[in-house]
Amino acid sequence: MEKDIIISLNGINKTFGNRHILKNISLDIYKGETFVIMGCSGSGKSTLLRTITGAIKPDTGKLHIKNKNILELNNHEFDKIRRDFGMLFQYSALLDSLTIEENVALPIREHTKLADEIIKIIVKLKLSLTGLKNFEHHHPSEISGGMRKRVGLARAIALDPDIVFYDEPTSGLDPIVAAVIDKLIKDLSKKLLITSVVVTHDMQSVFKIADRIAMIHQGEVIAIGTPSEIQKSNNALVQQFINGQVQGPIDFFKNTELFKI
Amino acid sequence: MVSGIGAFTISCLKETAQVLKLLREILYWIFIAPFKGKPLKIKLIFDQMIFSGWHSTLIVFFVTMFTGIVLAMQAAYQLEKMGALMYVASLVAVSLCRELSPVLTALVVGGRVGSAIAAELGTMKVSEQIEALETMAINPVKFLAVPRFIALFFMLPVLTIFGDAAGIFGGYLMGVHSLKINPALYTQITFKFLLLKDIYTGLAKSFVFAMIIALIGCRQGLNTRGGAEGVGKATTNSVVLSFIFIILADCIITGIFYFSNM
Repeated sequence: MEKDIIISLNGINKTFGNRHILKNISLDIYKGETFVIMGCSGSGKSTLLRTITGAIKPDTGKLHIKNKNILELNNHEFDKIRRDFGMLFQYSALLDSLTIEENVALPIREHTKLADEIIKIIVKLKLSLTGLKNFEHHHPSEISGGMRKRVGLARAIALDPDIVFYDEPTSGLDPIVAAVIDKLIKDLSKKLLITSVVVTHDMQSVFKIADRIAMIHQGEVIAIGTPSEIQKSNNALVQQFINGQVQGPIDFFKNTELFKI
Repeated sequence: MVSGIGAFTISCLKETAQVLKLLREILYWIFIAPFKGKPLKIKLIFDQMIFSGWHSTLIVFFVTMFTGIVLAMQAAYQLEKMGALMYVASLVAVSLCRELSPVLTALVVGGRVGSAIAAELGTMKVSEQIEALETMAINPVKFLAVPRFIALFFMLPVLTIFGDAAGIFGGYLMGVHSLKINPALYTQITFKFLLLKDIYTGLAKSFVFAMIIALIGCRQGLNTRGGAEGVGKATTNSVVLSFIFIILADCIITGIFYFSNM
């Protein structure tokens, strides 16, 4: 059975100054799958994610989301597509001035005309999906990092999006909270039939949640496949990365690119 | 040296173009977008009015009141020699309403509110909160800049009138209690020489100053780069640029009023 493509990248290139960050990236992401983009720090995976979400415009290439070339859309048209997105940021990016409830309610208040009582019910529901109760009136600075991630996740799914992007969802969390976040990503994808695009270099997380994995190295896709295909890959770069070895083709001490963002 | 001046001029022109682009965007969200089904959020504007207006009243009161006192003393120093001490009242009132109250209030609000806008928006920029808004299809200019712009546009003139009153009150305290001018005479001379157009010209200035503070604060904040250091720079720049442009605008507007006999 042929799978529906929801995001399609074709020949995406991006340079910052004289640094070629994304080199001719082409890949398809299917509807309903959890697609993980992994790679070393500085490999270009976060730039790739920001390119897909529209925060960065590529120099060349085509980017289709739900069969629309988003690079040809004006801001208003692109905003319509963005309403079907949700994104969990690396540091949650909750608005400090708002309470937890107001943060989760923000996209609903801005894009719907629902009554306040209904919005409050939706917020409670979304927060309970991520396992948070009785924290609605706290501010983001009053809760822990793991809780902030869960609030960020509740906000990301507030408008029942088709696609949720995750930028390093488990970084900076203890192993138990990281496992909770992984489970949430998996559960939400199944329960809400969401397509998930996850950028991470947390290998434990990658093999737990991924339906398919793409590995990026120095701005290029060097491997793409299911977790078992990646684990069996003959590519030395992939093997060094997934096994976390110091010795290998990626010479950390020689390759100064790795220190750059 | 010449190339340095050229580069500086180009960067100034580019920055001006960006500020004007921000103004155009703000005006779009105020005057056009509401008719396209994207209304302004009154609560956000009200919150900003409380912050920029109500919370600035105390500092504006003290600054203008003490300026009124100082102005009365300095005026008395000269007018006493000419036996025209009672005209301290009119000098204090007119110079406060036409010049000192609008400028001092704008500088106080520029330092207090303009810096807060730049710091808050700058922190939001470097901590991905602005990007988060964009990803949620919420326009940061509409959500953040417009409420601050509208709040300042209405609250700065209100604060200026409050400053006028506080300054005149300061002058009255000095004139009546220290310079021993008859209270009724002081009041009479104040309102005899203070014309409505003196207050209008001061208010006209404060509308322009409000736009300067809001635009520079928002532009610096939304354009912040480079973490905590960037936020510090944005905050400093917003205060320095606001002060320069407030004084420059004051000079131009006063010139226009003077040469058109207003």
